[in-house]
Amino acid sequence: MDKQNLEVKMQSWQRNQKKENIKYILLSIAGILSFLIIWQLAVMLGFIDEKMLPAPTKILETLIYKINNKPPDGNVLGVNILASLQVALSGFLTAIIIGVPLGLCMGWWIYADRFIRPIFELIRPIPPIAWIPLVVVWMGVGLQAKALIIFFTAFVPCVINSYTGIKLTNQTLIDVSKTFGAPNREIFFKVGVPSSLPMVFAGIRVALGNSWSTLVAAEMLAASAGLGYMIQIGRTVARPDIVIVGMVVIGAVGAILSMVLTRAEKYFLRWKINR
Amino acid sequence: MEQLKTRMKVDNISKTFFGAKDYFTAVESVDFDVYDGEFLVVLGPGRCGKTVLLNIMSGIEEQTEGKIFYNGEVWKGLNSEIGMVFQKLALMPFKTVIQNVELPLKFRGVSKTERREKARYYIKLVGLEGFEDYYPKQLSGGMQQRVGIARAYVSDPRLLIMDEPFGKLDAQTRYQMQEDLLKIWDKEKRTIIFVTNNIEEACYLGDRIILLSDCPAKVKEVYPIQISRPRDMVSKEFLELRTVISDNTDLSI
Amino acid sequence: MNRSATKSKGFHHFLYWGLPILAIALIIIGWITFSGKHPELMPEPQSVWDRFLLTFTKPIAKTTLLGHAWASLRRVLLALLIAWGFGICFGILIGWSKTAKAFFGSIFEIIRPIPPIAWIPIIIMWFGIGEFPKILLVFIGTFVPLVINTSVGIEMVDKINLQVGRIFGGNDRQILKEIVIPTALPSIFAGVRTSVSSGWTTVLAAEMLGAKQGLGSLVTRGWQGSDLALVLVSVITIAIIGALLSVILEKLEKVVCPWNN
Repeated sequence: MDKQNLEVKMQSWQRNQKKENIKYILLSIAGILSFLIIWQLAVMLGFIDEKMLPAPTKILETLIYKINNKPPDGNVLGVNILASLQVALSGFLTAIIIGVPLGLCMGWWIYADRFIRPIFELIRPIPPIAWIPLVVVWMGVGLQAKALIIFFTAFVPCVINSYTGIKLTNQTLIDVSKTFGAPNREIFFKVGVPSSLPMVFAGIRVALGNSWSTLVAAEMLAASAGLGYMIQIGRTVARPDIVIVGMVVIGAVGAILSMVLTRAEKYFLRWKINR
Repeated sequence: MEQLKTRMKVDNISKTFFGAKDYFTAVESVDFDVYDGEFLVVLGPGRCGKTVLLNIMSGIEEQTEGKIFYNGEVWKGLNSEIGMVFQKLALMPFKTVIQNVELPLKFRGVSKTERREKARYYIKLVGLEGFEDYYPKQLSGGMQQRVGIARAYVSDPRLLIMDEPFGKLDAQTRYQMQEDLLKIWDKEKRTIIFVTNNIEEACYLGDRIILLSDCPAKVKEVYPIQISRPRDMVSKEFLELRTVISDNTDLSI
Repeated sequence: MNRSATKSKGFHHFLYWGLPILAIALIIIGWITFSGKHPELMPEPQSVWDRFLLTFTKPIAKTTLLGHAWASLRRVLLALLIAWGFGICFGILIGWSKTAKAFFGSIFEIIRPIPPIAWIPIIIMWFGIGEFPKILLVFIGTFVPLVINTSVGIEMVDKINLQVGRIFGGNDRQILKEIVIPTALPSIFAGVRTSVSSGWTTVLAAEMLGAKQGLGSLVTRGWQGSDLALVLVSVITIAIIGALLSVILEKLEKVVCPWNN
């Protein structure tokens, strides 16, 4: 077994790996393309009513159109996206800023837990959608009202996951810190919080999904701008192409937000070994 | 002297793992015979090549170079006459003891009554009679390993490969298991290939010891052991053997 | 134990039980005070109770509160059963076969980020506001978490379990049935739990946007009729049922996966 022989084998192995990777990428593309082609053909051949479900080409056309044009909902696409993001992010970020520390404190200090728990358990079982009528009655349909609704949705998973995360702190680490004479507050910040970060991020991820989802609902029920609003208008004027463009953009923005979160997670959890 | 029959021959086996930037050789030109009915011990330092070598011998991994001969013929891939006891246990936590043990027979399509009967026999053989309906998590480490041994036996293999089965047990249980394994082997003689990183264990159990080097694993030496069983770990001959081997190894214990 | 230790133990007990009681008391006082001053924003506890009782004597849309609750539940359960069947099978398929994952998974990944609620307008356009579109909507909402959890559960089966299967002579189908799927069961069940809570939320949204029966429709009715007490009655009922479903599933998990814990 000489080195040259191995080098040759390694190169051929690497070539095979590349071939395999390409194969899977091609399969993915093929999957999407088949879906689109079948859809396009079905509309063109009349199997699907164009007024119900427009062809992919029409959707693309509408998407491009919406980038610069206001009808039928009164805003260009970019404005809608921004409006939605504004509401979603303000509720979401507020929920993280309040929820995560709250959950951590509840998990660490038993008295905080005992006091806040009843209030939290009251909020928890209420599905986010159900908040919409209540908040709208209290605060109207402005930015603050919608942000508050998003806040309630995102708040719950942040608290729960932070709580669970810090409860799972390795007791041995805590005990070792105590033998070094560290005060409770210091152990909290230097041991408890860092070790709970993976679960905190998992909670933030769920909160993000919830926020985006509830945002759409809130906008559909009570708004004058935003992607959810755009879809609702699309329905009322019988423009399925607008509706689908809206859906696709909602999905895309949601996916991008998720990727941003993953980037942040990788940064904060650099020390974590992935098995 | 009786000519020993060679059950399996490991012929110049090498295994290299390739990566995006470089490669890593785990096993290099390993060569040895496995005789019918013997208790062969493969001794080598941890974390290097031993499990890979075993996987190649049992057919779940493919070698980069070299051949495996079984009963005199070149063999590729899985061999239904080989059973295996794994280091990392791999009992199904959702199956009871008897369901775990009968699994190989279930795969072969053996009827329920027949495989239950066979499973019970081997469960009794390893000393776990009465525990048939327990879940693995209800058993101690040593008992779980016994289940693994019973399961390997139940498929009626000619060759049993054991990958450091007692590695995770505490010293007391380990000594007990070594004794019990020899008793089981005595009752149901198979060819056993036993892998370990513990010199004492190797000397206690084996008819022959194949000593492997550190990464990449190569055969350093083959030691036939003439001490008769049952062996005494503190007898003069045992300690002499132990010293000879430990002087030659890259091992610490 | 010396006296100061006993004293602090007593103090601890006092806080342990006293704090939650204090919190609940504050909530109740807050509610009563706020609703006293602004009854149009927040009905008083008494009026909520009265409204609750009224639903029995004066049914809405010819159905009592329980009838509405059952209407909502029925939709969810029906959609769930279908979603479980398809979702788990599809999840196993893309978890087990890399080819299937590449081909079907790509479309799934594109549809996945679209929140189920965003589907409501297009589904109303296609199917109106009858029973079927609502069930379809809940199906979409429950299908996704199920597929994800199932496929991840299957993919994360430890390699050594597969090796065990192969060494002992199992073919692919046997390994899948005897080893892989049971190992993935806890994950699959996590998907089931998520799908139930997701389904409950989605059915509400669907009903709020257009239904004659169901708890969501009560919320909308109360909201549009300035009958806030009705809104509260419905929201509280929704919350209670949601919590009950959660508890039932927790118990169910212990039955389905007894070897966990």
